[in-house]
Amino acid sequence: MYKIRFLQRVAGLLLLAISTSPVFAAFPEHDIKIIIPFSPGGGFDSYIRALTPILEKYLGGNINVLPINTPGAGGRRGALETFKAKPDGYTIGVFNMPGVLIPQLTEDSVGYDLEKITWLATLGNDPYAFVVNKDSELKTFAQVIASKQPVLFGATGPSSTSYVATKIMNETLGIPYEMVTGYTGSSEYTMGVMRGDVNAALVSMSTARPYIKSGDVKALAMIGVKSTDPAIADADSLGKPDLGKLNVVRMIGAPPGLPDDIKAIYEKAFQSAMADPEFTKWLESTGNDSAPADGKTTSATVAGLITFYKNFMSILKE
Amino acid sequence: MLEVLLGATADIFTLRTMLFLQLGVFAGLIVGVIPGLGGTTALAILMPLTFGMEPIDAFAMAGGIMGSVGAGGAITAILINAPGTAPNAATCLDGYPMARQGRAAEALGATSTASPLGGLFGMVTLLMVLPFAKELVLMFRPPEFFLLAVFGLITIGLSDSSNMVRGLITSFAGLMLAFVGYDSVSGGDRFTFGSDYLWDGIPLVPSLIGLFALTEMIRLSISGNSVAADTDSVHLDGIMRGVWATFRHWRVVLRGSIIGTIIGAVPGAGGTIATFISYSSTKNADPHPETFGTGRIEGVIAPEAANNAKDSGALLPTLAFGIPGSSEMAVFLGILVLHGMQPGPTMLLEHEREIYGLIIALTLSAIFSAVLALVLIRWLALITLVKGQILAPIVIMTSLVGAYAIDSRPGDVMVTALMGVVGYLMVRFHYPRLPLVIALVLGETAERGYMQSMMIGHGNWKIFVSSPVSIIMVMLIVFSLLWWLVPMVQKKMSKGI
Repeated sequence: MYKIRFLQRVAGLLLLAISTSPVFAAFPEHDIKIIIPFSPGGGFDSYIRALTPILEKYLGGNINVLPINTPGAGGRRGALETFKAKPDGYTIGVFNMPGVLIPQLTEDSVGYDLEKITWLATLGNDPYAFVVNKDSELKTFAQVIASKQPVLFGATGPSSTSYVATKIMNETLGIPYEMVTGYTGSSEYTMGVMRGDVNAALVSMSTARPYIKSGDVKALAMIGVKSTDPAIADADSLGKPDLGKLNVVRMIGAPPGLPDDIKAIYEKAFQSAMADPEFTKWLESTGNDSAPADGKTTSATVAGLITFYKNFMSILKE
Repeated sequence: MLEVLLGATADIFTLRTMLFLQLGVFAGLIVGVIPGLGGTTALAILMPLTFGMEPIDAFAMAGGIMGSVGAGGAITAILINAPGTAPNAATCLDGYPMARQGRAAEALGATSTASPLGGLFGMVTLLMVLPFAKELVLMFRPPEFFLLAVFGLITIGLSDSSNMVRGLITSFAGLMLAFVGYDSVSGGDRFTFGSDYLWDGIPLVPSLIGLFALTEMIRLSISGNSVAADTDSVHLDGIMRGVWATFRHWRVVLRGSIIGTIIGAVPGAGGTIATFISYSSTKNADPHPETFGTGRIEGVIAPEAANNAKDSGALLPTLAFGIPGSSEMAVFLGILVLHGMQPGPTMLLEHEREIYGLIIALTLSAIFSAVLALVLIRWLALITLVKGQILAPIVIMTSLVGAYAIDSRPGDVMVTALMGVVGYLMVRFHYPRLPLVIALVLGETAERGYMQSMMIGHGNWKIFVSSPVSIIMVMLIVFSLLWWLVPMVQKKMSKGI
């Protein structure tokens, strides 16, 4: 009898050892899925696809990091998929802020909670440029603020990132404005500015930069980044430093409850991959920015963004 | 420009790059044959593989795919009524009836000739207008988008005058379906019933697979026949007849190519609109429009010429502003970025050689895939002899898997199946499917264009006649309405007397 109980204990211990052994074995053992909440081909998608081969190098283990595109519901489908996945480290996801954050604040049930996500890294910030047509009568941002006529802005749908950012900026600075919604994306409303559909738009720098460089549009202000050109206003020079929070942030997260050791492996791998010369060269040639940050900083950023956007609930809830 | 063009040609005509181009052509043909999977999916799958390649090889392969998926899609559209890619849906309308009459080889011969001709026309036009690319692309604003959509809805939706009331019923049903989902203008959810899936709207490609391929397979399973009703009448030697018919109908090829190039250049309009407008304008210009849909070879030539011409058209906004003219172009831009290039208005200046390389690859691909198809037609046409009991399960399974493969969403499979049943009931009770399809394709563009125009013009209707392009389009709409109304009124009058 005693012997049997002893055997049971040994067996139990063995089982325990087996069941926890993946943690002790070198992570990762097999391929990893990285969920991209957009269709293939966008700026977000290319960024991740350029990063994954380098990430594989630093994760080691001779595995692949497979980008999985799960477009839908403005990025919410991808966020939900990552949130619900098994926290074993083999599924991680890309998050666009504040795109997936705003629905969490305004809707009853989005099915995920960004404060519970295990944050692994911030890839970069994408600040906004305030752009006007190259022949626009608005030559400086001071003229925009002093405008008596409502300024016509282009954006995607209400509650989209661009729409919310435009409204928050205009309300904070007291710019009279009207919105033209329904553009299918940031390059579409940049086109809208070039065609003269609208007077102005708040466009993320990664999209706007080539058009500013070619002279098709003119930037009058930068939001979310320090302006190096005295002719271009920024949040600080406007006396509203809080507006600096208005930018698009790309983050990497894993399902809630990811074991700490796996989290540490990821954090290190992402930091190394983002500093890799091959990747920095790619960033430079494509005009992408990076502002790498670890998991702890990313969690703090998420908490900060939630507090910031809660101040503007009336705009968000429209 | 000529110098760069020659340089790029030299880049492409190396053994290695040619090999990648051919690989792309093969992949494109195969992916094109599978309903649901189009160039976008093929390019997305290919994208990570190109990471280690020389940029020119990657572009050659991408060009190979983009130039050949249409040819692959036309094959299944004709043989089994399954549009391999969305723009091929227009080819089903007369291509499949031809297959049922045993003329599959003739129809395939015609598409294999019309596609490269359209592609060549598109490329030459593109190279000619490239210096004015920016001005041309900026001519299309929300009012023009709205008018283009209305023009499409009117010419296509109302072209079937024999069944007008039923046509209108299905048009409105199609518009209702097109409005399902998140409304990006007002920000509200419409008819989503709290479902995340419906938030993105009723997807076009699964609907097309259902309405064409599944509907036909349901019909075949019930009748138990093969595609060609009378197996003795199948002519496998009709290929050359199809080829010559295409040259004889050069006007149809030209019209299709022009329409394809222009509509391809309008960002967001998409190839499906191009092929359908090409089809309906050919039909309306014919002295006997009522015979279309019964196996007229012009009904196959027109959409396929437009299908390959639209690829060059779609390059126009892509090259001028780095804004994709189609979803395939969006993925192609992703490949550019992956290779360290920045899409944008200066792309053409900075990466001239690679871009011209792509244009040449696209054109070569259209020719190669046509030759390949011509070689295979004889055997492919045998599919029309396979009994329904064997063919239907295979096609239904491939269609459902293809629908799932687009975005791996179970909802897409359900839409495909549901549309298959709806389509079958429509055929059974003599409701035309075409107005439904076209409303689904154009509904959102029309609505968004109208709403945006109203916001831009502060509610003033004058915005719809505020530019030369919009005035021309209004005239086209009025003209096509008269074209359709006058004979009808005349008929009524003569009956009354």
